[in-house]
Amino acid sequence: MKLEAKNVNFFYGDFHALKDINMQIDSNSVTAFIGPSGCGKSTFLRLFNRMNDLIDDTHLEGECLVGDQNIYDKSVSVDELRTTVGMVFQKPNPFPKSIFENVAYGLRVNGVKDKKIITETVEKSLKQAALWEEVKDKLKKSAFELSGGQQQRLCIARALAISPSVLLMDEPASALDPISTSKIEELIFELKHNYTVVIVTHNMQQAARVSDKTGFFMLGELIEFNDTKKIFLNPDKEQTQNYITGRFG
Amino acid sequence: MQKNKFTGKRANQAIFFSLFRLMSYLVVGILFCIIGFIVIRGIGVINWEFLTSAPKDGMTKGGIFPAIIGTFYLVIGSMLVAFPIGVMSGIYMNEYATNKYVVRVIRVMTNNLGGIPSIVFGLFGMSLFVNKLHFGDSLLAGSFTLGLLALPLIIRVTEEALKAIPDTYRQGSLALGATKLTTIRRVILPAAFPNVMTGLILSIGRVSGETAPILFTAAAYFLPHLPTSVFDQVMALPYHLYVIATSGTDLEATRPMAYGTAIVLIAIVLIMNLLANIVRRRFSK
Repeated sequence: MKLEAKNVNFFYGDFHALKDINMQIDSNSVTAFIGPSGCGKSTFLRLFNRMNDLIDDTHLEGECLVGDQNIYDKSVSVDELRTTVGMVFQKPNPFPKSIFENVAYGLRVNGVKDKKIITETVEKSLKQAALWEEVKDKLKKSAFELSGGQQQRLCIARALAISPSVLLMDEPASALDPISTSKIEELIFELKHNYTVVIVTHNMQQAARVSDKTGFFMLGELIEFNDTKKIFLNPDKEQTQNYITGRFG
Repeated sequence: MQKNKFTGKRANQAIFFSLFRLMSYLVVGILFCIIGFIVIRGIGVINWEFLTSAPKDGMTKGGIFPAIIGTFYLVIGSMLVAFPIGVMSGIYMNEYATNKYVVRVIRVMTNNLGGIPSIVFGLFGMSLFVNKLHFGDSLLAGSFTLGLLALPLIIRVTEEALKAIPDTYRQGSLALGATKLTTIRRVILPAAFPNVMTGLILSIGRVSGETAPILFTAAAYFLPHLPTSVFDQVMALPYHLYVIATSGTDLEATRPMAYGTAIVLIAIVLIMNLLANIVRRRFSK
């Protein structure tokens, strides 16, 4: 499913956090958002599953489209939107439940009762998240017994279990060690065959490795959005060049 | 000169530390004194008969069984009243209320409710439940009155328990398309459960020792039988203690029985507190 932002402005109280952003994200691709801390890239990401709704005193101007639907239209059910647009957070946040129940959670809360379907989906999702082999013998154990990297893959499996079309990832590897990080990156690469993946990252090598397109944000503006190769090898804007080469940020 | 200054400081520190340590030991000492005092005087009357039979011969003989059962009923009744109300308002305050001002007003009011002397609860319970609502002097009226008394504690503990649940759980659940209510029911409450239970158990300890709220609403001076309906009066341990300590026919003879009753009452409260600690440790890692 493709995503689109049309003239998006976003405010935290009086603070103008996103300034007139326009962007089109292709379906079945990986798009990376990079930029210095506080540039608005995470805020922009969270617009697409309306997680910003949870923050008091914010408002949005413009349109965010998932497929052809403006998701801020009054007729849209936020809960249903979030089953289409899944999210993986910066820090692994498994529930205090068993490994199995963590993955089954999304199915259960969306009304799936058939045990066979649940068991099959849990296995399939854990395999997709490249975690199955490590946990298949301890599905009943608490998710907290897993390492940080395993927990994050569990959270990815949890998000995949409800078969979203879009997967938003907010710095999914920033709290992980290098080996776990490379596992997550391989996973992202695999996921793009079936999902539209958008990833926020502080790690420019990561953006360069996994993404097809990259957007560079600074002070709430989208400075440049283009093919990842172009952004990293021959950016149009000087600010992008400076950031990529590490001259600031 | 220099040297004196340094040693002077150190001596000062030592004095204050010793003082603080002494004071904290003193608290423990007082507790042991009270318990020891009561146990020494009352342990002689504690036996199986004392725990399982009704008072006899103008309460100079027999046991305290009806009072134990009465206190047990009052505790259950008051928790049935206070627990749902308290937990629901705690959930509202922490999970739903968006207006910070409203939450603050509720919290201040709750704290004020907790500061009202228990005898005033008794008076209020008598005029509302006993007279206005025609519950009469009864288990029901006593339960409601004690429930009101326990409410602030349960609300506060619930609110704290929910506050301790990381927001990442809420976000994780909502991001999977769960509604707010589902999130609370399936993730937040199970995670907060140990701390909420701790609050419940602590308030049981509190409620079982209260005399004033049941004085005008539920407590009977003497009942040869156990209550058969919620509209019956009940005997209760704290009130029974008061009665046999102040208005028996032979005060000197019944004194050990008063201490025995006190042992049972203290034991219940201590066991409840211990249980609260165990629950908290068991479930919170």
